Amino acid sequence: MPVLLLWVALVLYGLGTLLLIPSVVHRRPSISPASLAALALGLLSHAGAIAIEAARIHRLPVTDVRSALSFYAFLVTLAFFFLYLRYRITSLGLFMPPFVFVLTLISAFRPVRPFDLSAFRGGWLAVHIGSTILGYTGFFLTFVAAAMYLMQEKELKSKSPHAFYYRLPSLELCDELYYRSLLFGLPLLTIGILTGFIWASRTWKGPWEFDPKILASMLTWLIYLVLFSTRVSGGWRGRRAAYVAIFGFVAVMATFLGVSLLSGPHGYVPTLRQGP
Amino acid sequence: MNLALLGINHRTAPVEVRELMHIPESRLAQAVSDLTHREGIREGLILSTCNRVEVMTSAEDSVDAEPIIHQFLADHHRFELGPYQRFFYHYQQQEVVRHLFRVASSLDSMILGEPQILGQLKRAYALAHEAGGLNGSLKEIAGQALAVGRRVRRETALGSAAVSVSYAAVELAKKIFGSLEGRTIFVIGAGKMSELAAKHLLSSGASAIYVTNRTYERAVQLAAAFCGTAVAFEQLFEHLPKADIVISSTGAAGYVVNKEDVARILSARRNRPVFFVDIAVPRNIDPLVNELDNTFVYDIDDLGQVVEANKKQREREAVWAEEIVQEEVQRTMRRLASRDLVPTIVALEGRLNAIREGEVERYNTRLGNLTPEQRQAVDALTRGIMNKILHGPITELKNGAGQPEQAALVRLVRKIFGLAN
Repeated sequence: MPVLLLWVALVLYGLGTLLLIPSVVHRRPSISPASLAALALGLLSHAGAIAIEAARIHRLPVTDVRSALSFYAFLVTLAFFFLYLRYRITSLGLFMPPFVFVLTLISAFRPVRPFDLSAFRGGWLAVHIGSTILGYTGFFLTFVAAAMYLMQEKELKSKSPHAFYYRLPSLELCDELYYRSLLFGLPLLTIGILTGFIWASRTWKGPWEFDPKILASMLTWLIYLVLFSTRVSGGWRGRRAAYVAIFGFVAVMATFLGVSLLSGPHGYVPTLRQGP
Repeated sequence: MNLALLGINHRTAPVEVRELMHIPESRLAQAVSDLTHREGIREGLILSTCNRVEVMTSAEDSVDAEPIIHQFLADHHRFELGPYQRFFYHYQQQEVVRHLFRVASSLDSMILGEPQILGQLKRAYALAHEAGGLNGSLKEIAGQALAVGRRVRRETALGSAAVSVSYAAVELAKKIFGSLEGRTIFVIGAGKMSELAAKHLLSSGASAIYVTNRTYERAVQLAAAFCGTAVAFEQLFEHLPKADIVISSTGAAGYVVNKEDVARILSARRNRPVFFVDIAVPRNIDPLVNELDNTFVYDIDDLGQVVEANKKQREREAVWAEEIVQEEVQRTMRRLASRDLVPTIVALEGRLNAIREGEVERYNTRLGNLTPEQRQAVDALTRGIMNKILHGPITELKNGAGQPEQAALVRLVRKIFGLAN
């Protein structure tokens, strides 16, 4: 049932993404109701899939890469609706639903693997994964805001407005979105990393500190910490900050997906590295 | 439904002629009343602006309204329209609807997408309505035109991009700063152009304004006009870091502000963005300033370039708006035309059925004692003949629904079948 609901959500996300193309191309002041309806139904179906799975295993279903990706896609869609209703930025449709679609697609195609529920005892691991994914949701928004900023900045510097000038929000709004999402994501990733340390030190035997995923996470965290502190101390903003934010999100994706293939425990097969 | 429109606009007539034909708003109600009291005219609507005069009527089916409108205009202006004939365009039926919808959508305006026309049409509608000039299909069409105009504004960006230099500057400022609420403007050089730009920015929400000028008195004057602060020219760089938007128009021969100056300003502002509008020729702001991050420099040519791009953008949007208009015209015409046909079709059927029943009645005695089955057969036979005859005219009428020739067709059908008007 959850698998079926996830597929339904995937199809609806795809449909919603296709339906919003005309709104963006024709620079409508709002995203077409049909597209929003498809995305909302997708979100509902997705929520159903997650709820059923949660009821079955009695905890947040973020136990493997498949379910973590699915949960991430769910949060990004939720964020999309929140932001769209709050700021009415049509061009968010250019970034967020396609990303959700791709995430859900990868999630839907990954095989369901058995996992060791005992690792989740105590709740540290669930907090670790949950807050990290929430933080990543914030950082995706930082990425989107930075990308929109760069495109709009290029238009304004070039002095001959093209399509993006008319479609994208003001630099000020991009900057607001950028800074707020950074303020949202950084504390959550910090909590995620700290709870991860606590869990690991209690569970794993042997030197876990040099796990590739842990190193990558630390690097990602440092990038965002630098972005935050330079903004607060030196008013570092604009084009260069936007480039770093984009690089930061590449690091997020590399950490989330790429390293999962190399890292033992974070491939979500905790038994491999656990002591006897 | 018998619609007609006679009009002139900025494309067909020079301003001298448009002035002559203009009907001021104060006389509009009287004019509509005069128009609708003419023989055969049921409804009237007059739209008269500086770019167009449009007189629309709906008339009795048998009436050709064009000469009546001509005569009305001649009577109203108290001169013969003869020499001005060639400036007028004349529309009928569907063309009237289409023209009115395009006008309401600002697709027929001199400046594509300008917003005033919808308000002007709304006013014309209200005046004509008060004068008792709107009570049928024209009322419905004019009301629909207002709705189409609103739909085009809502669903397209036809009217959104700025098409004048000073508004382009405001629009750019909004693309940088979002809202202009609470932003500070700095005017360097108190000229006519900078005054206008500052005025637009202030009316868009900017809150504080500083003015500086080589001759301090002039700065004081302009600052007073905007409730701003005058700054001595020598103290320019002390105050410049406060400014979000800088408008420059001094007569200086060299650059007043260069890259190093702005780099210092930016660090004092903690990199909050600055927008320079340089409308001076020769330029006051070194163009190299634009290379700095968080800084945007637009000179007068750049603003012109933005205006050109915006015009092209509006033209692209116009294609979409035309599609909306086309769709709305068809929908409106179908609705009106099919409703319009009902009385004629009913009358036609009634007429033929009366003939049929009369003839059956007349032959009643000669037919002798028919069994009920035979009587039914006679009924079916005559009814069949009647329906076969009706089929052609009714199909033809329905096919013509909404076409310009329809009024003539309806007249013809009514005439040859002897239907009362």
